[in-house]
Amino acid sequence: MKQITLLLILSSSLSVFSQNNVALMSDDSSRSIELREIQVISKERTDRQRMLHFYRANQSASLEDILSRLPELSLIRRGTYGMEPSIRSLSGGQINVLVDGMRIHGACTDKMDPATIYIEPVNLEQLQLQTGSQGFVYGSATGGTVNLITASPVCHPDQKLHGLISSGFQTAAKSLHEALQLNYNTGNWSFLGSATWRKSDTYRSGGGEKIAFSQYEKLNYSLAASYQLNQHTRIKADYIGDNGWNIGYPALPMDVGYAVARIGSLGIQHTAAGKRLYKWQAKLYANQVRHYMDDTHRPNVPIHMDMPGRSMTAGFTAEGAMRINRKQQLRLVADASTTRLTASMTMYEAGQPPMYMLTWPDNRKDQYGAGISWTCQADSNWLLQSALRLDYIHTGLTTQAAKDHISILGVTDAARNELLKNLSFTGTRKLNDRLKASASVAYAERMPTATELYGFYLFNAQDGYDYLGNPGLLPEQSLQGEISLQTNGKKARLKFTAFYNHIRHFISGSVNQSFSTMTIGANGVKNFSALPFANLAGLESSLLYKPIAAIDIVSTLRYTNGKDNTGDPLPMIAPLKNTSTVRYQFSHFFLQLETEAASAQTEISGKYGEDKTNGYLLLHARSGCQFLLAGKKTDLQLGVENIFDKSYHEHLDWGNIKRPGRNGYLMIRLNF
Amino acid sequence: MTVFVLCILAFLVSCTKDKTEPNPTEGLTKLSEGYAIGAAAKVEVYTKETSLITGYTKFYIALYDSVSGKRIDDAHIQLNPMMDMGMMQHSAPFENPASTEAVNHLFPCSVTFIMSSMGGTWTLDIDVHNHVNDKEGSITLPLTIAEPTASRQKSFTAVHNGAKYFISLISPTASTSKVGINDMEIAIYKKASMMSWPADSSLSVVLTPEMPTMGHGSPNNVNPVHTGNGHYKGKVNFTMTGLWRLNLDFMSGTAVADTTQFFDVTF
Repeated sequence: MKQITLLLILSSSLSVFSQNNVALMSDDSSRSIELREIQVISKERTDRQRMLHFYRANQSASLEDILSRLPELSLIRRGTYGMEPSIRSLSGGQINVLVDGMRIHGACTDKMDPATIYIEPVNLEQLQLQTGSQGFVYGSATGGTVNLITASPVCHPDQKLHGLISSGFQTAAKSLHEALQLNYNTGNWSFLGSATWRKSDTYRSGGGEKIAFSQYEKLNYSLAASYQLNQHTRIKADYIGDNGWNIGYPALPMDVGYAVARIGSLGIQHTAAGKRLYKWQAKLYANQVRHYMDDTHRPNVPIHMDMPGRSMTAGFTAEGAMRINRKQQLRLVADASTTRLTASMTMYEAGQPPMYMLTWPDNRKDQYGAGISWTCQADSNWLLQSALRLDYIHTGLTTQAAKDHISILGVTDAARNELLKNLSFTGTRKLNDRLKASASVAYAERMPTATELYGFYLFNAQDGYDYLGNPGLLPEQSLQGEISLQTNGKKARLKFTAFYNHIRHFISGSVNQSFSTMTIGANGVKNFSALPFANLAGLESSLLYKPIAAIDIVSTLRYTNGKDNTGDPLPMIAPLKNTSTVRYQFSHFFLQLETEAASAQTEISGKYGEDKTNGYLLLHARSGCQFLLAGKKTDLQLGVENIFDKSYHEHLDWGNIKRPGRNGYLMIRLNF
Repeated sequence: MTVFVLCILAFLVSCTKDKTEPNPTEGLTKLSEGYAIGAAAKVEVYTKETSLITGYTKFYIALYDSVSGKRIDDAHIQLNPMMDMGMMQHSAPFENPASTEAVNHLFPCSVTFIMSSMGGTWTLDIDVHNHVNDKEGSITLPLTIAEPTASRQKSFTAVHNGAKYFISLISPTASTSKVGINDMEIAIYKKASMMSWPADSSLSVVLTPEMPTMGHGSPNNVNPVHTGNGHYKGKVNFTMTGLWRLNLDFMSGTAVADTTQFFDVTF
């Protein structure tokens, strides 16, 4: 890492970039998580950055492992692979999951392919998590934004070629994880290529039970090329390819035979430290995801079926940072995108023609948005912030066949045009040298998703209902507030946040007794419909404690409570959870003990078919050392997760599928 | 050059104009032809299908002057279908052309074949009163009616009055069906005697489509209601392709006439 650190420091334009990033993002509701050491040291770190940097030290961790340790984030799990991020219990269309600011729509009607699966940790440079008052600046959303910033190639005058190679093995699923990253530069050109291959068998859960259909295999590769036009400007092209196959989803009645994503972009970045508009960037992008679900490997299915889906998105983003005066700054965002979706289902019965239907009748969404975020350091004690975003969104069906499908639901015109409005205010006050308090209020809106508007008999394996879209759904409207208190001691940093989110037109499913189910064995049919309102309230706290130089303690706690308008609990709300880690570092070795504890979840949604989830306590042990192998800096890490081989599942795990049991891992990484 | 192009355009336009109007029998199959002796008329019988099956069958009759070959657009046509089963004969439900004026040079009419030619011999008498020359004559055509795999013609003895009813599925057909809303049309005839099969308007119909393979139905169907001449029109919704069974319950007021009938449609 030191080498990379050095390289980045030498690359002047880049370090300016990263500093600006931090400057822009380092407010309380917008947490930028720098994963490369250079960017972390380039500016005073936020607690979130420190935390992520800390968890990031575990090199066997997947992106999902890292995400799940943030107090604001939970993961909805349908399989080993492709867990869906949820920010403060909001997910799917309620949040933005972006890759380098690009919108990528999953091609799976069952949400098996959140955009997070396309980024491997080796290829991730920075993770931006924005909640509350800043959560909508990159796209109208009631829950917030996760933006995954991929690694950029770096220029290095002395070393033309450098990179890393890593290999890992995990015992629970007999899984292999191989990664290679190469950085090459010549003149004004620099290139970064990476490839990651993962192969995982079915895993064993705590107690030794094999979890059928939990296997997967995937290959992810990326290439970035950057050309330094002049001292201030560079042009960058990125390409990410991701191929997954034989991906099992134990909680769903189907698996994924093959999933492929192609993500490309071409952008320009400009910095001018002295200028009023001191940084701007613009990008054109396009991506396509194809996803093939089938149940050909499942035994005892009443009828075999294929469910292919495809999404295509093209768009434009532009962003600029502007200094008004010494006290005030502006961040300006403008973007437009168009997404086309189609998914179908074909069922096969011997001696009969195939049964075919569109599950996502061909549809498109066109979005044009602009956001502005204002920061004012009013005096040495007061920091004021405000953000505004407007989005104009058009959605509609694109083919006659799609219109014919939706006409069955009694809808003659399924097209929608909406203007979404988002606004927030934040005030942060330094109470004394060690104590800082912050409060924010925000109003945000989000568009119903294609599934919610146009879904056609989409089976939800969690509650066992077929869902029908409702093209008349209103946008969800959220009124939210957040207060936080932060102490920065010499040895300890403690942060405490409380939030409240009142959502009007909360989109949910209501049982339609008069419709017959399409899926064999389904409990019934639900129409997407809006509850008058729902409320979410929660607490998050984090502690970073360094009693002596060699010891780090990181602990996070979170709790969310969600209620619908009748006072019943909302579904998919994680219970009280604590993650605590103590790390002892001596010389080039470290030892780490980690506990994960969750209380039982008894606040469950009967309407959504939820059941109670037991609490659990897990213990993980990790160790690692750094040494020189043939003159190359090498990391070796090994550890055991779930030492007690606890048989458990989390509340957000669909189908109560047990999580992996005791898992030993070994990871070696060679930097050259 | 411009003049040349204009000339060509003019030629093309004039060609288009000169072209006779579209052939009225375009897309139809000529089933049979002959002369209505006495009416001095040549009779051509067309259908939409290439072969005849049991059920409601639409015919399109074209008449020509047997000498000049000119179309006859004003005539009174009377149908008389007959099934000869050897031991006995019976007629079948039919619809004469609604008017003596031809529609687009054709006289649309229908016969509902209640059984196939397996049981005997079908003939169709067409009596023509040629209004052009005020002469009358007739022609008898032998017809071969096949029984399709999925029947479009059913009958039942009503529970409430013991009468025999014949029901025909007119639409949807395999070729017109789509995923979405489909027009549904059936015709109901009552057997009054071996020679009298009047249209019935007394029954009400409850439509329940289902996919027997999957065991599910579809939402928002519209029960067929009587629109005239024994025809009942409604809407049937197909949520996917494949084999659909259209279950039909027949009621006479609140009394149940029959609840056992269905038509299968596969597309």
